[in-house]
Amino acid sequence: LFRWVEHTGELELEIEADSRRGVFEQAFEAIRELLAEDPGGPEQTREMSLSAPDGPALLVEWLSELAFLGETEGLVPVGISELRLGERELSGEIVARRAHPPHLVKGATYHRLTLERTDEGWRATVVLDV
Amino acid sequence: MRVPARVFADEKLLSAIRGDRSLEQLANVACLPGIVEASLAMPDIHQGYGFPVGGIAATAPPDGVVSPGGVGYDVNCGVRLLAAPLTADELGEAREHVVHEISRQVPAGSGKGGALALRGPELDRVLADGPRALLGRGIGTEEDVLLTESEGRLEGADPDAVSERARSRGADQLGTMGSGNHFVEVQRVDEVRDPEAAAAYGLREGQVTVLIHSGSRGLGHQVCTDFVKRMDAALGRHGIELPDRQLSCAPLESDDGRAYLGAMAAAANFAWANRHAIAHGVREAIGQALGRGAAEGTCQVYDVAHNVAKLEEHAGRTVCVHRKGATRAFPPGSADVPERYRNVGQPVFIPGSMGTSSWVLAGRAGSMERSFGTVCHGAGRQLSRTGARKRIQGAALRRELEEQGIVVRCPSNRGLAEEAPFAYKEVEKVVSVVERAGLAVPVVRLRPLGVIKG
Repeated sequence: LFRWVEHTGELELEIEADSRRGVFEQAFEAIRELLAEDPGGPEQTREMSLSAPDGPALLVEWLSELAFLGETEGLVPVGISELRLGERELSGEIVARRAHPPHLVKGATYHRLTLERTDEGWRATVVLDV
Repeated sequence: MRVPARVFADEKLLSAIRGDRSLEQLANVACLPGIVEASLAMPDIHQGYGFPVGGIAATAPPDGVVSPGGVGYDVNCGVRLLAAPLTADELGEAREHVVHEISRQVPAGSGKGGALALRGPELDRVLADGPRALLGRGIGTEEDVLLTESEGRLEGADPDAVSERARSRGADQLGTMGSGNHFVEVQRVDEVRDPEAAAAYGLREGQVTVLIHSGSRGLGHQVCTDFVKRMDAALGRHGIELPDRQLSCAPLESDDGRAYLGAMAAAANFAWANRHAIAHGVREAIGQALGRGAAEGTCQVYDVAHNVAKLEEHAGRTVCVHRKGATRAFPPGSADVPERYRNVGQPVFIPGSMGTSSWVLAGRAGSMERSFGTVCHGAGRQLSRTGARKRIQGAALRRELEEQGIVVRCPSNRGLAEEAPFAYKEVEKVVSVVERAGLAVPVVRLRPLGVIKG
């Protein structure tokens, strides 16, 4: 489950999921929702390989990479075909459509960044500069 | 907190400001190593990420730091004002044609062409020299460059400090507007408050103007992304502890600090070149709609940055002034103000929201005494994007604006709704505070005739 929390200037993304992997999957869905104004062309795949000093920073890397692909290659994310998730690294393959997504996300920030286990599962917060 | 936090506001604005986390963010900025005097905020302050938008922080060597988040992802986001050689009455019904042509000449940039694609040495020249690097291509004039803050070129720009990833993100985006709150607005001078300064700026009542709001596009966004990550990883090495990770920073005189300043300056130069190229597109559009004479008679008033960090002299020492959603506003007599404006002070442009007025101000001496030569940058948001969308649909807002006689070109109803006028504070109240604080004086008010959004 993801939702956009009230934020005066930017977009604050709040995610709750059963697992840590679920948080990354929901983050993918959030970017897909943001960029999918255009149905786009045929599906393509892209391999991903990311690393960061810790889990929250890895979530920022994941969001940043999806926004980067949208801006530089016009790729709107459609699905995740493979996701290998470590503590500080991530690899896998995503499916995307080539389109003209808006250049909406300037950056995924570290402001009030969290990725933590809760009594119910996992929870994350990321603020996007838009 | 190492220094106090100080806000320029009146009671009513302060009440709105208390509605979000901006004051907490302002207090966090006061914890930065080497910050001097105070963590400052203008009356258009609102919640950002790390720094509040509308925030100012000056840091001093040797302990002072530079923080990429204190500049923001859109390095040198800013505004440029053009003055056309005709009045709104003379423009008449042709305004729709002008707005339409601008929307064709100035793409939003999401893969729809129209941008200048630069590679290798050509991009390096823009990163090193800013808009002056485009003059040889017939884009803009020498006078445009001279009437740009810092003449469109920050010293110390280091193209080699700009990553390949940043280059690939921004190389095809020169001359594009971007989305979000970026715009090109056709306006008329609605009221002249300071005739002497207005005359110096080449502005008269009824005149048509064009205001351009854009920044460094993906190139600058990636420079910030790269250096927030790099400085976050180096905080321990520099012995820095922060209340918010997004405030990540490094000493000005460290390798990390120097590398960021070089990359940020290059991205700032790219942003000035971007607005320079957009202005060229606007002139082309005016030429298409009104003829070459109108295009050639369209003059640049000035161009100001509102997301930047600059080394400046204040109170007898060199400080790094971070302006995050804040505008330099140097007073009359300053050597950094173009000669033709030196008697009246630096022009500052304060865009309001769509459908309301914008202001041209002139910097005053109080800004040097109280805010490191800085004033506000806009009306300031008071309602979130989702909140704005809940209150109005884009199509309805489009109709409302058109009923007010404002021509709208915006492909996204969602994007239009997010920028609804009620999402912003009243720009008049913001300008009034700046004036009463002695930071700047109003020169002319501008009313929208048409708006083009990404």
